[in-house]
Amino acid sequence: MAVTEERQAPDAPDWHEELENVGLVRRIFQARRWYKADWWFVVISSVAVAGFFIVAIFPQWFAPHDPREEVGARVLAPGEAPAFEVFMVPAGSQVAGLADMATGERESFGVVVGEPTSDVARDEVERLNEEGLTGDERLRLGLERFDDLPEMLTALSAGELVAAGAASDQVDLVIDDFPEVEVVGSIAEGDEGAGQSFLLGTNQLGQDMLSRIIWGTRIAFLIGFASAVFAIVIGVPLGLLAGFAGGKLDRGMSIIMDSLYAFPGLILAIAIAAVLGPSVFNVIVAIAVLYIPTYFRIVRGQTLSAKEELYVEAARSLGAKSTVILRRYIFPNVIPSVAIIFSVNVADAILTGAGLSFLGIGLPPDTPDWGIDLARGQQSIQTAWWLVTFPGIAVMLVVLSFTMMGEGLVEIFNPKLRER
Amino acid sequence: MYGEEPISRERVVMGEPVRTGDVLFSLRDVSVDYATRAGAVKAVDRVSLDIRKGEILGLVGESGCGKSTLGKAMLRMIQPPGEITEGQMIFDGTDLMTLNSRRMRELRGARLGMVFQDPMTSLDPLQKIVDHLTETVMTHEPSTSEAAARDRAEQLVSRLGLREERIDDYPHQFSGGMRQRIMIALALALRADLVIADEPTTALDVIVEAQFLDLLRELRAEFDLTIVLITHNIGVVAEVADRVAVMYAGRMVEVAGVDGLFLDTKHPYGQGLLKAVPNIQLADAELYQMEGSPPNLLRPPPGCSFHPRCPSEMPICSSVEPSLRAVDQDHLAACWLYEDHPEKRVPVEVAHD
Repeated sequence: MAVTEERQAPDAPDWHEELENVGLVRRIFQARRWYKADWWFVVISSVAVAGFFIVAIFPQWFAPHDPREEVGARVLAPGEAPAFEVFMVPAGSQVAGLADMATGERESFGVVVGEPTSDVARDEVERLNEEGLTGDERLRLGLERFDDLPEMLTALSAGELVAAGAASDQVDLVIDDFPEVEVVGSIAEGDEGAGQSFLLGTNQLGQDMLSRIIWGTRIAFLIGFASAVFAIVIGVPLGLLAGFAGGKLDRGMSIIMDSLYAFPGLILAIAIAAVLGPSVFNVIVAIAVLYIPTYFRIVRGQTLSAKEELYVEAARSLGAKSTVILRRYIFPNVIPSVAIIFSVNVADAILTGAGLSFLGIGLPPDTPDWGIDLARGQQSIQTAWWLVTFPGIAVMLVVLSFTMMGEGLVEIFNPKLRER
Repeated sequence: MYGEEPISRERVVMGEPVRTGDVLFSLRDVSVDYATRAGAVKAVDRVSLDIRKGEILGLVGESGCGKSTLGKAMLRMIQPPGEITEGQMIFDGTDLMTLNSRRMRELRGARLGMVFQDPMTSLDPLQKIVDHLTETVMTHEPSTSEAAARDRAEQLVSRLGLREERIDDYPHQFSGGMRQRIMIALALALRADLVIADEPTTALDVIVEAQFLDLLRELRAEFDLTIVLITHNIGVVAEVADRVAVMYAGRMVEVAGVDGLFLDTKHPYGQGLLKAVPNIQLADAELYQMEGSPPNLLRPPPGCSFHPRCPSEMPICSSVEPSLRAVDQDHLAACWLYEDHPEKRVPVEVAHD
């Protein structure tokens, strides 16, 4: 025991001394030395937060698509190429497309029940007829519905159908079992070429999830920071005033703040957001109201203790005015604790903001926002896992790195905490 | 609370007549009450005291006797729930009690300064020494330029034995003794006439204490300073003070020149206090211990508040309050031993409710 203690002893005053003489940037880089194994905690989370910041400020640099626009097929899994509807005929048939089927008769065309094939075929038929691409005759399809793909392909092989349509990805799986079936192309002209895949897939509106998440960073940061700053701008001066003035003013303000605090947070935010109506600014106000009591309480408490400090009394004995004492002696001594809550608060506000828009309150419905994406994805969580997973991971990463950076910075700014 | 108050009010007699020119600060019947749930605590009870120009006045008494409160009251720095309930405080011809808070604030720091007990916390940890000093100068002399204020700060700090360049350091980079010197520098930044030092050496070790006391004496001569030294350390008082005022339970019980007090203590409390000082030359003697404990100031005993502990208690002591009066050359005491009263010879029934 004694030996290990002796060995550690020379290290201890070392970083204390260094701390007094280095600036903030070097402190962060030297964090490695005081933190021993944990230093990467701070560094990684700081880098992550900085990265998120850049993304939040310039989403257009990173997002490949417009987050509001339908840029591809709907509900595409990450990396999945969109399926298109293929046109199949029995081997040796002269028919090479829907246009060739315009013979004046109702031609039998096979589809599988429940697939979008019939819609695609109907749209294409309409287009062909309107544009007069079917020659003298109008194209009329007699749809034959089958319960599953193999059944339809069997019928097609047997010559019971003139042609059939199905999704390309499904056809690819079974086509080898039906040598008498020939795939001649897509049902709709041009469909085949639009088969772009997306890194994080698409949602029900055919919007690119990656772009939505990237643009969602901006909304999340905007809501998180603006509401925290808003809460500080209102809560800190009120707390200073109440703590410094004391008496009835203090009691009245404390009662108001405590009753705000006693209200369940999310419900209060929902109520405020619902009353104010949907807009980003209103969400910011709603969340800010939620956090004002937090700042008020902390600042009031700190002010109460700071104003009893001897140096405040000393300042008064030297003739300093109350305003000077408040501004130069109490405020700077209160700020560090505000900074500590701030970083945690931003993370919390991002979560609350996502929660509000998850519930469909606050943000206009077309906003690229993680909460809105989560709410939409939740409807089809069993068929499309990526719709909830990626926005969820985004929220988690941002909140986590904020919290970690906040805690790490607190320890760097205030190494006394480590001595406890 | 007890019936004899009017009598003692009339009987307040100031000692030998002092020429007004000699007196810098005169307290007349100053009382400070603290409102508590149990009632008003008379922390300072009708205290009268003359502080003469250029002297070092030691204000002694045990903890809780009201000496620090009196010191703060002299700058009118009593904060609620405390309040100066009565009395006059005449500083350089003006009654401070009649000044509005703005005029009072202008006096603080400029003409009246204070040095506090704990040097470790009496400087703002977030402000450099130079900021403390220049702020004080510029608060009172707004026309001073930043550079001029800095010059003055440097001179002052080097006069007090710190290196000039250290004014750009933060308080935590100084030792306790250095910080106490900085506090003095703050009080002297505008050449205050009167500095109230509230137990300035309590947090310092004896060597630094001795240096600090030497410094006080030097500064007194150099800056024509008057110092009120609040302390419970009789040794410190004997060392530096010219006169000594002894407080007990919120009242002034004895005021005398330092020789008069130490060689011929009049008040039994003062005698007990001196006997209780450890003496290295009387190694075998047992240390004197005063009986009892200080009274509860919520309900002070009737008459002389020291009578329950007094070895020379007389019947009158518990019914009529003695007044502070001259008992010798330059020597005031509030004790029935030195005052005549019709009731003194008659054992009286203590009539109080």
